Amino acid sequence: MAVTQNLLTKTLRWYIVFAVIILLVTAPIFYFVTQRLYIDEANETLKLHKKEFVRYHLPTLKLDSIDTWNRYNRDEKILPRHPKHRKDKKDKFSTVFHFDELSHENEPYRVITSPIIIEGKPFTYTSKINLVEREDMMKSVAYLFLGLISAMLIGLYFITKVMSVRLWRPFYNALDHLEKFEVDKVTKTNLSQTTINEFARLNQAIEGLIQKNTSIYNVQKEFIENAAHELQTPLAVIQGKLEALFQQSSLTQSQSEVLEKLNESVSRLARLNKNLLLLSRIEHDQFSTSEQLSINALLKKHFEFFAEQAAAKNIRITLNENTEVSVNTNPVLAEVLLNNLMFNAIRHNLPSGTIVINLEERHLSISNSGTSTALPQEKIFDRFSKINPSTQGSGLGLAIIKKIVDLNRWAIHYHFKNDLHTFTIAF
Amino acid sequence: MKVLLIEDEQELADSIVQYLKGNDVICEWANTIAAADDKISSHFYDCILLDLSLPDGHGFEILKALKNRNSTEGIIIISAKETLHSKIEGLNLGADDYLTKPFHISELLARVQALVRRKNFHGNNVVRFQEIEIDTLAKSVKIGTNAIDLTRKEMDLLLFMIGNQNRVLSKSTIAEHLSGDMADMLDNHDFVYAHIKNLKKKLHEAGCKDYVKTVYGLGYKWQ
Repeated sequence: MAVTQNLLTKTLRWYIVFAVIILLVTAPIFYFVTQRLYIDEANETLKLHKKEFVRYHLPTLKLDSIDTWNRYNRDEKILPRHPKHRKDKKDKFSTVFHFDELSHENEPYRVITSPIIIEGKPFTYTSKINLVEREDMMKSVAYLFLGLISAMLIGLYFITKVMSVRLWRPFYNALDHLEKFEVDKVTKTNLSQTTINEFARLNQAIEGLIQKNTSIYNVQKEFIENAAHELQTPLAVIQGKLEALFQQSSLTQSQSEVLEKLNESVSRLARLNKNLLLLSRIEHDQFSTSEQLSINALLKKHFEFFAEQAAAKNIRITLNENTEVSVNTNPVLAEVLLNNLMFNAIRHNLPSGTIVINLEERHLSISNSGTSTALPQEKIFDRFSKINPSTQGSGLGLAIIKKIVDLNRWAIHYHFKNDLHTFTIAF
Repeated sequence: MKVLLIEDEQELADSIVQYLKGNDVICEWANTIAAADDKISSHFYDCILLDLSLPDGHGFEILKALKNRNSTEGIIIISAKETLHSKIEGLNLGADDYLTKPFHISELLARVQALVRRKNFHGNNVVRFQEIEIDTLAKSVKIGTNAIDLTRKEMDLLLFMIGNQNRVLSKSTIAEHLSGDMADMLDNHDFVYAHIKNLKKKLHEAGCKDYVKTVYGLGYKWQ
């Protein structure tokens, strides 16, 4: 299965990826652009220097004062023109490094080289400007820029986070609702109001779905109950007529046998119907009253009856009451629960088998011998999932047990070990 | 013994009337509340069998009317609808017993007999059949002058069979009678055989004639 992530985590991750890409791409571009601008700026300054020189100094400069000029001007020099460059007419710019004796470092300078004529002789005017100060400034600008971008990204991150939480709140709310929704529990659907179109639609769809499901479930539930109820009277008629038939003195042996088979089937049908009714009554919450109940007493209440039932199959029952257990529950259902478990243990047992009942602190387990293979875990609590088709069970026993256990918020587990089928209830 | 059956399902009513008639019971039948009111106001009954859903109203109306009249009839509700609520309300309104459909008519007869014994004999709850004498209050059984010791189940079985004498009782009917509330889950009726065998043995040892007949394929009959 794919690893799932929060919607928020996923969005934020994309933001971060985007931010890193932006930083990586823009940083060098920014660097080069600023560098370019800075060089241009230096060139402009140098041009200005040269203009000043040409306007104010060149007209009065004599050949013999060139030395003096050179001595007192640190950055502006007048050099004899190299014959190679004799035909140069334009200004030239270049970046050169000069060793600075004070700071013992090579420092970058921007240099302008410009051809000039002094008293008819060709000279080259050079002027340089230190780039170091300006580089420092550029660094500051870059840091500022970086800081700005980072601040913006961090801000974006938090805004997104807050916004997402707010924006998606109706969604998470709806999700919670769906997760908690149980068709057989009456819960008020209370999806929060939202101004976001999509979520409003989602909420509407969910509410519609829940309503529809609940109503279908209720109709189904009522149908089962009504059907079971309506079956009671015809069943009573059949049973009554059968009993009347029994009393006929002229019955042949084979007729009697047919009658008894019919009688058994009708009894079974009646039992099945009563169990269905019991299930739907549990679902209709007709057993909501509860009282403090001793499991020990409950086990003993019908023990004699079960011992008798077991004796008919020569089954030995061992009852280990290791402690007193008392629970707060509906007495009718608690009795049905224990009786169903006991009946199952007897019904699915082997002749001369065993039943072991263990009552511990908060646990009741009933183990019985039976088929030599484990029952399918996932199916045993379903209605009408009869594992052993030859038995007379209604197929509802474990469904009823599960329903009662769920209603009480207890847990029931089945396991098969040492040829014993064990059902454990955790109170 | 006179019984009034208030039940709108004719087929079921016919079966009940037919069955009860054979056991010294006069059973009259009303299928509406109006007809029932009519009969109750002009006759006395030992026991009234009352269905709750009737075409012209709810059976509780009859219960209320009877309660207002301070009548002493025993009342057994026979209903297809068994909810805790209707059961409690029915019993509160003066009903003595509640039997949920479908039921065995033999079971109904046994309940009627038990109820009438409780209501009429005022402490003298003795059932006699030939040389057998059962004191249902003291839970003792005598064969002639010979007291015999029966378990609770065996005594229950004996009363049930005598009450339904000359009737064939199927094994499942007996099993369900003996197991009471547990009957809804019962699917093995083999234990009936053991009880019958023990009862017959105890009666025989006390010098009682054998009144229990085995009807092959169906069950047992007391005659």
